Amino acid sequence: MLASWKQLIFQILLLLISCRHINTTSPDPTPPPLVPIDSLPRDVRRAAFKGEGQIEKVELLNPVNLELVCTWTGHQNKESNITGFWRKDGLEIENSHLTVQLQNEQYQLQQVFNIVSEENLGNYSCVFESEVKIDFVVAVPQIGEIRDKPVVTYVGDSGVITCKMEDSKPMPNTWKWYKANGTDKEEIFAAAEPQRYEIKNNERKTKLLVNNLTMADSGLYYCGAVYTLSTSMGHVELKVITYYEPLKPFMAIVAEVFILVTAILLFERSRSKKNDTEGDMMSDQTNTLSPGENNGLEGSSSMRQRKT
Amino acid sequence: MPPAAATNLGYTPPDGGWGWAIVVGAFISIGFSYAFPKSLTIYFKDIQEYFAVSYSEIAWVSSVMLASMYAAGPVSSILVNRYGSRPVVMVGGVLVSTGMVLASFGTAIIHLYLCIGVIGGFGLAFNLQPALTIIGTYFQVKRPLANGLAMTGSPVVLFTLAPLNQFLLDSFGWRGSFLILGGIVLNCCVAGSLMRPVNKKALKKPEKTEPPECNGGAAEEAATVDTITQSDNLTEENQKESKSQGCVNRFIDISLFKHRGFLIYLIGNVVMFFGFFAPVVFLAPCAKHKGIDEYSAAFLLSIFALADMFIRPTTGFIGNTKWIRPRIQYFFSFAVSYNGVCHLLFPLASEYTGLVVYAVFFGFAFGMLSALLFEVLMDLVGAHRFSSAVGLVTIIECGPVLLGPPLSGALVDIFGDYKYMYYACGVFMLVPGIFFFIMHYFNYRRLDKERGQIVAVDVRTCEEAVELKTNPDDKAAHDTDE
Repeated sequence: MLASWKQLIFQILLLLISCRHINTTSPDPTPPPLVPIDSLPRDVRRAAFKGEGQIEKVELLNPVNLELVCTWTGHQNKESNITGFWRKDGLEIENSHLTVQLQNEQYQLQQVFNIVSEENLGNYSCVFESEVKIDFVVAVPQIGEIRDKPVVTYVGDSGVITCKMEDSKPMPNTWKWYKANGTDKEEIFAAAEPQRYEIKNNERKTKLLVNNLTMADSGLYYCGAVYTLSTSMGHVELKVITYYEPLKPFMAIVAEVFILVTAILLFERSRSKKNDTEGDMMSDQTNTLSPGENNGLEGSSSMRQRKT
Repeated sequence: MPPAAATNLGYTPPDGGWGWAIVVGAFISIGFSYAFPKSLTIYFKDIQEYFAVSYSEIAWVSSVMLASMYAAGPVSSILVNRYGSRPVVMVGGVLVSTGMVLASFGTAIIHLYLCIGVIGGFGLAFNLQPALTIIGTYFQVKRPLANGLAMTGSPVVLFTLAPLNQFLLDSFGWRGSFLILGGIVLNCCVAGSLMRPVNKKALKKPEKTEPPECNGGAAEEAATVDTITQSDNLTEENQKESKSQGCVNRFIDISLFKHRGFLIYLIGNVVMFFGFFAPVVFLAPCAKHKGIDEYSAAFLLSIFALADMFIRPTTGFIGNTKWIRPRIQYFFSFAVSYNGVCHLLFPLASEYTGLVVYAVFFGFAFGMLSALLFEVLMDLVGAHRFSSAVGLVTIIECGPVLLGPPLSGALVDIFGDYKYMYYACGVFMLVPGIFFFIMHYFNYRRLDKERGQIVAVDVRTCEEAVELKTNPDDKAAHDTDE
């Protein structure tokens, strides 16, 4: 009996010990680890405070240790010590408060951030004395040249949507296409439906061909430039209409032309009938056409008449 | 207005009345002919993406259309000589419309070349020639003004079509837009229906030719020197032998190649057209190259179009005045040289203000030249040979018009700078301008001499005839002279 008790206690002890080593990771909403991981390359970006609303763009492709350096020349009465801290997406980063000393007539605040995944991208701000701040927008290259007007195509026809990453920006690893489905985006897999979709990727350009269009294909299409860190999106609208849409104005214009031509020709026919019935009055008619000049014409005598 | 010269057309043109309706019709036809190929460039980007072709392949559509339009000139002339202006313009309108509608269903780029390029080009040629010809039949005294007004159609239609095309593209895509454009261009048929053939019988000059002739001496100072009657009278005598050429001559007047004035015009124009269109084509790219943003560069083209629009009727009006009309060839030579000088001075413009000034002056130059381009040809060869003349001129000009922009583009690519291209264009326009001045000086002298001979012969025959006539006839002729 004593042996089984000993076994139970021993097992309980064992259980307690092993329990201590089980870590439950609680989801941490914002801050990246402030301790740098040495295997990543280091990217340093500096900014000096120029004025309010200053925004610096930081374009990243791959995971890096991003060091952001802010400098500020300070107010008129420069104190030797001020406080500074960092924010991400408007929320204060824990343990980022530092005391900054005045060196070479300016204050300098620097911090190294671990940018490894999509959550680490965002708006980083360095703040001096809770009033002077510089924003760093850390993101993957954004698609600039994107068509803002919808691509209009017809039922049964095929539609082509293109996206391009400018030459001045780094090339994406690959491209992906999504179709908007309510508020969601659904990825388009060309391999799954080769008759309908075709994706042609060409480093900086990507083309989505949609064959055999139907009205349901209308909507927003998203092209994603895939970088290691994240995917930058651009969107283009595709509008599918039937052939009746342009046909209506076309028929209206053809009808207008027909009416005008008939009217003009009828008017002419009626005038020529009037001329015929008024037979002898023809000479009077020529006079009414151009009264003054005709008399002048008949009278002037510059050149003699020649038979042609 | 200078007093009208009697023409050897066999009738007196109305110079008004229904003539103004003809001007409206010609305005529409000429407007579509020149502006339509230029306005299609808005669709090129979308079509390029749809068919997955390069930009030069799509630009061929415009080139083929322009080439067909110029190459079909003689065909158009033959048809006009045979059937008159009205049926040809209506057929032309239907052709362009058909071409555009077929193109809207096209599935390959070659369909566009054939439908828009060939069929459309032919249709536009069938619009341009008859419109110009019929003005010559309706106007004599006010012809430069009528020509200037009709040629204003080109910038006005371009100005209207450009935003309209953009709107159509955004609403209907390129296919629907081509369909609707096919409808819009059908309005050329309306223009054609306005082109009622002039009623020659109703306007025939009465047969009292003897007394007016005898006042040849007094009327000489008052009369306009009309090179039409002179050149026609003289070359007709040369032609009596070549009447036997028969078959071809019935359709198109090949003997024009022996016509002095026509040859001067042809040689000058062939050289001039190398440098005519390229500056317009490259105005916006050159501005962007100098660092101007896209919207301001496009605005330069609008300024150019507005200046062009304003100057064309003005030039027509000036060309009609009694000081210019007798020596209108010099006015044309001035317009050509002015173009050349404009382009030579262009490289001096560096910032936006300079470019705006250049756009205004170039707009004036371009419009002046365009307004006079066909008026001087009519002045040289006469209204009834004009149809054949313009057909021959357009097919020969086909080469320089097509080669001009690509050659200029090559110049830009070689030197990497636009100024050498502008220097070249300036030279290509200044040299013909000076050529025209010199040649027309000699031509006018020859014509004056020949006219002097005719008048001398007339006076002699008149003196014999005058004993048979009574005085009141002479007096009436005198009174109506001024």
